[in-house]
Amino acid sequence: MMLIDCPFCGPRDETEFSCGGEAHIARPLAENKISEAEFADYLFMRDNPKGLFLERWRHSAGCRRWFNMARDTVSHEIVEIYPMGALPKTAAAKSAYSASWRRDTAAEHAAKPARTTVKNAGKARGAK
Amino acid sequence: MASTSQKSTSLPGRTALHGKAMTMHPNPNSGKPGLVFCELAHLGKLNMRADKSAGKMVKSITGCMFPPAANTFTSAGERHAVWLGPDEFMIICEAGKDEELASSIQASFGNRHAAVTNITDALAAFHLKGAAVRQVLAKGCALDLHHSSFTSGDAAQTLLSHAAVTIMALADDEFIVICRTSFASYLHDWLLDAALEYGVKFNK
Repeated sequence: MMLIDCPFCGPRDETEFSCGGEAHIARPLAENKISEAEFADYLFMRDNPKGLFLERWRHSAGCRRWFNMARDTVSHEIVEIYPMGALPKTAAAKSAYSASWRRDTAAEHAAKPARTTVKNAGKARGAK
Repeated sequence: MASTSQKSTSLPGRTALHGKAMTMHPNPNSGKPGLVFCELAHLGKLNMRADKSAGKMVKSITGCMFPPAANTFTSAGERHAVWLGPDEFMIICEAGKDEELASSIQASFGNRHAAVTNITDALAAFHLKGAAVRQVLAKGCALDLHHSSFTSGDAAQTLLSHAAVTIMALADDEFIVICRTSFASYLHDWLLDAALEYGVKFNK
């Protein structure tokens, strides 16, 4: 049983929360062309490490808000709780983030918007 | 402290505990029953999504201050504003006044990025009072309900015997518990059972 410190409600029982699985999986952008196998990396492949894991959690019986949590799957130690959309700040969680196989996938690269100059962005709008 | 009237209303329509009869189990240690509870029939409930900038507008229409912090509620007479999330709260009002209140809030939005939803009939409300009310609730709830920790004006969304509830402390021995309508019958039965050792009375 874990006592999870909801960033909005404060410390609550684990039973009030639901785990949303691996965090930091960004959807490849529609305009990008990646192979089906590479898209499958995004869609199906999930990590299940023994040790520190970055997860999404939701305070489903409380404020119903999502947040990220760096949790050790062996000891249940909660290393860090940080907001959705943010990256972890502690050294251990940071290295778990950068060590993930996902950082090198084509799907993750395709999730980042291509850098467009202001000029090109204008053109893209005009083309529509 | 603010109170919510226990008078049953004569509004049409069945409520969640329509079929439940008055029940009384005497206190085995003699004296008053440790828990007396009833349904707050048709209690008006509005869900509101808006941030602190709506505070003035909420105050002028409902009379309630914007909840100042997480896990609290504010009161003005029979109306309450209960914190539910960083940009979400619930307004509780007198039975039968919910539609009128919802439309006057809606009308005052202007260009504000906000929403109000009438959830009166989605939720059922219990009024609990008695010397043993905290002990009874603590049987099904992991929160620290000691009167030094959960004081009047505190509210929490949590689980009460597996049912999702919003608990509000009106006074040391007086609570409002709000649950989904479909869980009302279960919570009624659970409360009767959990409070048996203290003596319990359910009023129609």
